[in-house]
Amino acid sequence: MLELNGLTKRFGNVTAVDNLTFTVQKGEIFGLLGENGAGKTTTLRMLATMLKPTSGTARLAGFDVVRSPEEVRRRVGFLFGGESGLYDRLTVYENIQYFGELNDMHPREIKKRIEELADIFDMKDFLNKRAGKLSKGMRQKASFARAIIHNPDVLLLDEPTSGLDVGAMREVQAFLKVQKEKGKTILFSSHTMSEVEKLCDRIAVIHKGSLVDMGSTDELLKKHGTQTLEDLFMGLVGGSK
Amino acid sequence: MNWKHVMIVFKKELKDIVRDRKTLFTSIILPIFLMPLLFLLIGGGTEKMSEEMTTDITVALTADSYSEAAQWFLKESLETQDEDITIIEPVADPWEAINSKQAKLVVSLDRDFKKKLEALEAFTLKVYYDGSLSRSGGAVGSLMSAIDKLNEGIAVKRLEAMGINPQILTPVLVETENISRTGDGNILLMMVLPMLIAMLVAVGGIPAATDLVAGEKERMTFEPLLATRPSRMSILMGKYLTINLFSFASVIATLTGMLLAFFINPDALSMGMGEIGGFNLDTGTVILCIAVTILLGMTFSGIQLAISTYARSFKEGQTYLSLLMFVVIIPAYATMMVMPNDIQLYMYLIPVLNTISAFKLVLGGLTNYTGLILAMVTSLVYVVLSLLTAAAMFRNEKYLFRS
Repeated sequence: MLELNGLTKRFGNVTAVDNLTFTVQKGEIFGLLGENGAGKTTTLRMLATMLKPTSGTARLAGFDVVRSPEEVRRRVGFLFGGESGLYDRLTVYENIQYFGELNDMHPREIKKRIEELADIFDMKDFLNKRAGKLSKGMRQKASFARAIIHNPDVLLLDEPTSGLDVGAMREVQAFLKVQKEKGKTILFSSHTMSEVEKLCDRIAVIHKGSLVDMGSTDELLKKHGTQTLEDLFMGLVGGSK
Repeated sequence: MNWKHVMIVFKKELKDIVRDRKTLFTSIILPIFLMPLLFLLIGGGTEKMSEEMTTDITVALTADSYSEAAQWFLKESLETQDEDITIIEPVADPWEAINSKQAKLVVSLDRDFKKKLEALEAFTLKVYYDGSLSRSGGAVGSLMSAIDKLNEGIAVKRLEAMGINPQILTPVLVETENISRTGDGNILLMMVLPMLIAMLVAVGGIPAATDLVAGEKERMTFEPLLATRPSRMSILMGKYLTINLFSFASVIATLTGMLLAFFINPDALSMGMGEIGGFNLDTGTVILCIAVTILLGMTFSGIQLAISTYARSFKEGQTYLSLLMFVVIIPAYATMMVMPNDIQLYMYLIPVLNTISAFKLVLGGLTNYTGLILAMVTSLVYVVLSLLTAAAMFRNEKYLFRS
């Protein structure tokens, strides 16, 4: 579903992402683990076709991110941060509807899908409230609903739980598990170890733009002889510092 | 570019901005109420000033030159020439008298003026005025006309006494007739209105432009938008149309405000300088004038979009875009006094000046197809250039994700 092959991004003399190669299968939650500035967001931005790779390729559902960006975007739901990116002067309904329209959905289909999402995220009470007047938790739900209005095959989530309280974080985690069961491919960036350990089928640790190691949590713990993911991460990242 | 996507973005931006009271207030509501207020206040002020200069002209003799004969002479000779002139009691210090509003003008006469008058000789009448005070400096004209009439009256009497026809003094009789096809009041309108329209078209979209890209970056709504299906060019075009609409809406709001001022007080727009009328309503000229104005708005919308794309935040966008105002204001003020007949060909080639020139032609009742067509063709080039710049900025991830 998602294939990265030697994906590289340079900004002038700085290499933000260096020769990243991995694949993510359909129905898999794949975690990108790294410190701030490791290259997680840049990787996700390239996969969402916002940034052009300097070299290498990335294919999403068979479509190349450089050659067929529209086809790629059609199949991607992108969420940047936990509760950001809503238009405060529009209602929650209008925010979600706008993204449905941008993704070429029929008005009837949009209406039906919003009702469905309102049920899933328990948003009926604030669907017609302006986004600027919502609490953080409500905004996070609305952001998620908007990112998946067009029922994308791939979800690119850049630290989706950052800044959220424990309750809201749990709701996000529960939602991601449901999406996985529905066969969605999820690429998930985080620096919260417990969350990654709980959710991800496989993880890739990246440091200074390069892939340090990749595999399931158990495989990696065994391979590096560590007890916790945190120790593993510090070992991998600290060792290469 | 997909026009369906363009219209979706355009409709959403419109809805979003209409709900933004700050932008709506500065772009639309403020000009509607500010214009009548501005014109009525300035118009009222000018009218009051002109009234102060021409009515109730109080003239005093200096104490040094006072005599009963001199006081009587001034009363008899000047008050009869102009009913607005009043001779008041003598004053010791001319500056003090004028500045304390005791008199608008002070005069002195030769002490032996009566003797000289009787001997058919010339005598001196000195007028003291304060040029820094409009009520005093402006009143000199009225007093001088009265003195001219007095001179003429004395000369006629002397000539008649000598048995000479007074017409000997005026061998040439002058007649004047104003054959201007435009109302005298147009002069002020020709100075102010084109400048105002060009400035508003060029800067009216700034609040919207700041919000639509720099604002979106700051609110972090931009990245999710770029991750949706529409191409960047469709998103750009939707935003571009919104900025255009706002720049024209601000012009329409201003013109509505001016019309309102006109209905409240018809003299407000001319500020008491005469009637307004005699515009050039030649269809071709009017159409070209409107086309050049629209193209100016489109050029500046593109520039604003490019600047807003470059800015990292709303505040940074505001700073850069406010600098753009100077680029517009400087040439607009520099050509404020240029009258339609004085427009040089190069003015049709420069953005802002081309719109000002076109409007001056319409208001001045003139036509210059060569200039207007040149203005339109060059404006089209500017629109394309500004859009290409905005598109290049919008495509360039270095500017789009500048942080």
